[in-house]
Amino acid sequence: MEPGCCWHKDHITAADCEALRPGDEGLLFNRKQRFLQRCLECPRFLEDLQSQRGGDNDLSSLFPYAIEELLALRAQNRSLESQMVWRNREIKFLHEVSLVLQTSVDIDEVIAMALTAVTAGKGFGLNRAILLLVDKERQFLKGYFALGPRENADAGRIWKEIEEHDYTLREMAQLFFEHKMADEREKFRDLLEVLTTPLNRTDHLFVRTLNDQQSRHITDLFAEPGIDPAQLAALGVGEVILVPLVSKNRRIGLLLADNIINRSPITTEDLHSLETFVLPMSYAIERAFLYERLQEELTKLTGANRRLRQQQELILRMEKMALVGKITANIAHSIRNPLTIIGGFARTLIKSTPGDNPNRQYIESIVREARRLEEVLQEALNYSESLHPTLDSWDINQLIAGVYTGLREDLEAGGVQCQLLLDRQLPLVRIDYKKMTYCIRSIVINALEAMPRGGNLEVRTVPGEGELLIVISDTGSGMAPETIDAATTPFFSTKEQGSGLGLTLCARILEGHGARLEIDSARESGTTVTLHLPVPEATRPEPGEATTPQGDMP
Amino acid sequence: MTRLLVVDDERDIRHLYAAELEDEGYEVETAGTGREAAEILERKDFDLIVLDIQMKGESGLQILQNIVRKKSDLPVILCTAFSCYKDDFSSWLADGYVVKSSDLSELKSEIRRVLAKQQP
Repeated sequence: MEPGCCWHKDHITAADCEALRPGDEGLLFNRKQRFLQRCLECPRFLEDLQSQRGGDNDLSSLFPYAIEELLALRAQNRSLESQMVWRNREIKFLHEVSLVLQTSVDIDEVIAMALTAVTAGKGFGLNRAILLLVDKERQFLKGYFALGPRENADAGRIWKEIEEHDYTLREMAQLFFEHKMADEREKFRDLLEVLTTPLNRTDHLFVRTLNDQQSRHITDLFAEPGIDPAQLAALGVGEVILVPLVSKNRRIGLLLADNIINRSPITTEDLHSLETFVLPMSYAIERAFLYERLQEELTKLTGANRRLRQQQELILRMEKMALVGKITANIAHSIRNPLTIIGGFARTLIKSTPGDNPNRQYIESIVREARRLEEVLQEALNYSESLHPTLDSWDINQLIAGVYTGLREDLEAGGVQCQLLLDRQLPLVRIDYKKMTYCIRSIVINALEAMPRGGNLEVRTVPGEGELLIVISDTGSGMAPETIDAATTPFFSTKEQGSGLGLTLCARILEGHGARLEIDSARESGTTVTLHLPVPEATRPEPGEATTPQGDMP
Repeated sequence: MTRLLVVDDERDIRHLYAAELEDEGYEVETAGTGREAAEILERKDFDLIVLDIQMKGESGLQILQNIVRKKSDLPVILCTAFSCYKDDFSSWLADGYVVKSSDLSELKSEIRRVLAKQQP
C-alpha cells in the first residue's frame, strides 16, 4: 500500500508536509530529525501507521505505545523547563528583595518592599498583606501597615496597571513607596486600628502566634477561638496565614496574608516561602527601627552639643564682663566713700554758711566738683552693668530642664519619680535667669524634702491668658494652712537645717518679676506650687510658631 | 519720734548721716560693727535701719540676715557704694537699696517711702 504521507522520503519540499512550521527548513533534507520532531505528532503519519497493521508478527501495533510515552515525556520536559524558568525568576526576585532589605535603613521603604514582594504577582502573589508591629513602649501589637486591593474593582484596576507597565519588583516597590504609601496607610487605617491588640492578651490568636514563634495556616478563621468578632468582621476572610517576625528571639511583629479577592487556596509552599522570606524582613525592620532611633539620638546629641557650646561661649563672655564689672565696682567703692564724705559735709556746711560769707563759693566748688566726679563714676558703673543685664528673654522650659538636670541625681536617690510636662508652644519670658533658677530649684528641693520615702514629682508648664504657669506638684507630706501662710515670711522654716530663705526669697524674686506664687496643699496628700509669670505683649508667639525646640524629657 | 539706726564702718559717714538725718527730725543712733548694732538693738527699739554692706569684719548682708531673723518687721535700707549687690540673694530681703552719694536726698526719700509703707 502506498504511504499517504511523506515520512518515507529522504528529501521533501515544503508542500509535501502539513506539519512543518516556519523555521523547519533544515528538516526538508533530514529524514531522521523530521520523523522525531514532526511525524510523531502528524495525524497523517499516524493514519499510515494504522494502515500498516496486520499480519501475525505485527510490529507496527507496538509503535503507538512508544510514541505515546515519548510525547508524554516531552510534555513533562516542557513543564519542568517552564518551572525552572519560574524558579529562576523567583530566585532573582528574592535576591532583588533581599538586596533592598539589606541596604535600606528607612523603615517605610523596607516595609513597602517587603509587602510588595508578598503581594506582587512576580513575588508570592498573595492578595493582601498586613503587618502588625510590636510597640514595646505602649505594650501593643499595633496594626502598622497593609497592602493590597480593598475591593474587587480596586484589585482589577491595580492588576491591570501592573500588567500594562510590566514593572520589575523593585520598580514597583519604589513607585509604591514614593507615591502610594500615604494613600495606602489611609485606606487601611480603620482596619489597622481594629487589628491592634494589647500584648498582655496572651490568649489572643495574634499574640499567641507571636509568642509561640510558630507560623499558622488557618483555613477557617471564623471557627478560631481567641480573635475578636470586630477583627473577624474587619478582615472578612476565612483563610489566612500568620507568620511571626522574630529577630534574635526579640518579637518584632506579625505578618498576616490572605487571598481576600480571588479566594484561591493558600498552599503549604506559600507558607514555607513566606517563613523563609520573613527572616531577612524581620532583621531589616529591626535594623531600620534601630537606625531611626540612632538618628533621633544623634539629632538630640547634636542639638545638646550646640547648646552646650553656646552656653560655654556665653559663660566665657559673662566671666569677662563680670571681671570688668568687678574692677569698676572696686574702684567705685574706693572713690565713692570719700567722695560721699567730702561732698556730703560740704553740703552740710553750705546750709550754715550765708551767701555773703567769702567761704561760701569755695564750698560750692567742692559740692559741684564732688557731684561731677560722682556722675563720672556712675557713668562707668552704668556701662559695666549694661554689659550683663539681669533681665533677658528666656525659654522657661529650658530653664526647668536645666534645674531638672542639676537635681536629677538627688531626685533619683530620694526615690522620686519626676515627670516633666512641658508645653512646646510657650512664649519667651523676661526673667532674671539666675534668680528664677534659684526660685524653681528651691521649690523642687522643698518638694523633694517633703517626700522622704519617695513619691512623684510633676512639673508642668502651661500657657495662660497673658501669663504662663509653672505648676510643681509633689505627693509629699503636704503643709498645714498656717505653714502656708508663714511660708512667705522671712526665715520661717520647719526644716532644722538651712536658713529657711527658700519660699520667702521665691516670693520676693517673683514679686520682682511682677509674678506671684500660689500654694495649694493638704496634709498627707501633697503640695502644688503654682508660679504665675506675666508674658509681655511683644513676646507672645504667633499662631503656629513654636518657640521651644525642646525634646521629650525622660 | 522716729528712731533710726545707721550701721557703717566709716566714722565720717556715720557723722555725716547722723547730722543730716537729725536735721530731718529723726532720732539717730550709729554703730560701726555688726556686734555693736546687735547690742544697741537689744536694748532699744528702732523704726528703721540704714545698713552699709561692704564693712570690715562682719558683712552687711550677714548683719541683715541676723536682724531679719530676730526682728522680721524691722525695715532695712541697704546703703552702699556698690550697685552690684542688688543681685545678691540676701539683699533681696532688704526693703530698700540706695547707692551712696554726697547728695543725701535719695536716701532721705527712700527712708520716707519705707516708713510710709510700714504705717498700717
